[in-house]
Amino acid sequence: MPKKKRKKARSAVTINPAGFELGQLKIYAYIVPLALFMLLPIVYIFNNAFKPLSELFAFPPRFFVSRPTLDNFASLAKTTRQMVTGLSRYIFNSALVTLAVVVFTIIISSMAGYAFSKLKFKGKNALFEVNTLALMFVPVAVMIPRYLVIDRLGISDTYFAHILPLLAMPVGMFLLKQFIDQVPDELIEAAKVDGAGPFRIYAKVVIPLVLPALATVAILAFQGVWGNIETSSLFTTKDSMRTLTFFMNTLVSANASVAGQGMAAAGMLVMFVPNIILFIILQSKVMNTMAYSGMK
Amino acid sequence: MKGWLFTLPWTLGFCAFFAYPLAQSALYGFSNIRLTAAGRKISPVGWDNYAYIFQRDIYFMERLRDFFVNTLFSLPVLLVFSLMIAMMINQKIKCKGLFRALFFLPVVVVSGPVLNMIISEGAASIPIIEQYGIYGLIENFVPSMIAAPLTYLFSQLVMILWYSGVPILIFLAGLQKIDRSLYEAALIDGASAWVAFWKITLPAMRGMIVINAVYCIVFLASSEINEVIALIRSAMLDPNIGYGIASAMAWVYSLSVALAIGLAWFLLGRAPKERATHAVILLQRRGLDAIRR
Repeated sequence: MPKKKRKKARSAVTINPAGFELGQLKIYAYIVPLALFMLLPIVYIFNNAFKPLSELFAFPPRFFVSRPTLDNFASLAKTTRQMVTGLSRYIFNSALVTLAVVVFTIIISSMAGYAFSKLKFKGKNALFEVNTLALMFVPVAVMIPRYLVIDRLGISDTYFAHILPLLAMPVGMFLLKQFIDQVPDELIEAAKVDGAGPFRIYAKVVIPLVLPALATVAILAFQGVWGNIETSSLFTTKDSMRTLTFFMNTLVSANASVAGQGMAAAGMLVMFVPNIILFIILQSKVMNTMAYSGMK
Repeated sequence: MKGWLFTLPWTLGFCAFFAYPLAQSALYGFSNIRLTAAGRKISPVGWDNYAYIFQRDIYFMERLRDFFVNTLFSLPVLLVFSLMIAMMINQKIKCKGLFRALFFLPVVVVSGPVLNMIISEGAASIPIIEQYGIYGLIENFVPSMIAAPLTYLFSQLVMILWYSGVPILIFLAGLQKIDRSLYEAALIDGASAWVAFWKITLPAMRGMIVINAVYCIVFLASSEINEVIALIRSAMLDPNIGYGIASAMAWVYSLSVALAIGLAWFLLGRAPKERATHAVILLQRRGLDAIRR
């Protein structure tokens, strides 16, 4: 492989030492405080969740908790126990909807990205241009027309109302198309010569090569659906069809009371846990996304 | 034919939930919509909605202007900060992966409901700035035209830095594509690190800067704390304003954002002189590759 050779050649000319040296300290002096700064939101969420009410309302507000308690979680649990619709229902709804959206977004976007990148068909460019334009559009502008579409399809108050509107993700398709563009045509030609059809090429050649990009799109799709309140507030009327995010949000706004703030802080931490888990699982892949884009 | 088959699910979804609603909202922009017990009543009004926005609405144009002025000020800060961080991470230091992950972390955290709560609790501002009366200082010594966006910049500084996750990744990708031996060659020719930055790094990063500028504008324009979007959202539900005018507002906003992106593309993307240096770099790179082989 010439690639290996090149790597060797490159490491031979690098100026930087392999180990730790004093010269690196200067960079650390800048980068460590900034990195800690990036951690602030998470530290804040954790601290807030364990603050007793007196500290939540302290003025001037304090960042760190001094007397941590579990009161907020207790009151959150108590409130949810009094709900007509159980918490488990919301969790189930959220999990189902999130899983479906992430999985189907990946499948649909990668298939479309593959077709736009490597297959030839009529109207391909025009369609892709429309997608690029859609990237720039304000989502609010299509809120009510979307509702009308859902209404006409007769899928309001079903899981489809949560899932279908989020599947068409212009950003995801755009990203994946850009990455599939980087897959060498020779590879696909070779597969074709060996007798593979377009679907086989898609499943066996393209997908394994763009796995990092798929991870990125998965995170984006997850965020789009997990934090989404709109589908619950607009497309559903039954409480039993709404998601956990929506429920947590109503807790914050409906309980403008003192105790509500504590519950909101605890709820914020609960809502945040899946985010961080997914990030930890996929982070190495996401980070590689960009490095792989240099595929030559 | 196979191509159509592959895009079919995507096209269907896109048409039903994006293209069609978009066309519908364009139509709504030219009509008056009243929600009655019997259903929606839509009557065409021509350009009246747009005339209302530009002539009679007091808030919308003001917020739109504020948004663009603020973007103009925060965009350079965001880009410079991300490039600096990306260059530092790109150095050979220990725990590179950890730092990369840390700087990407706010992207995961700072979204949706969590973001709203952090802001509402005032955790996203820097207390020191208020304590030392920097706002007062700015307002006293700087003409008011610039003072407002400057104070905005300071108050939003934390948010702006939190937004830098994706731009840093994009810059990193660009930096990794620059051949290290170029720096080596420059060093031998007696160029300082400073000169190397301006002559090698920056020209090579031009494309990435454009991509990042576009990304940041789109991101800022569609972020959940954007005041223009908040205004459109409230106008939508306000019976006095109505969905027709709100749709028109959304279109005015989207078109101005598209215009801003076009402008950024035009200003940053095109520079014949720099392109020449880029070509030189490419040639050098090819030459080096040839030598290695």
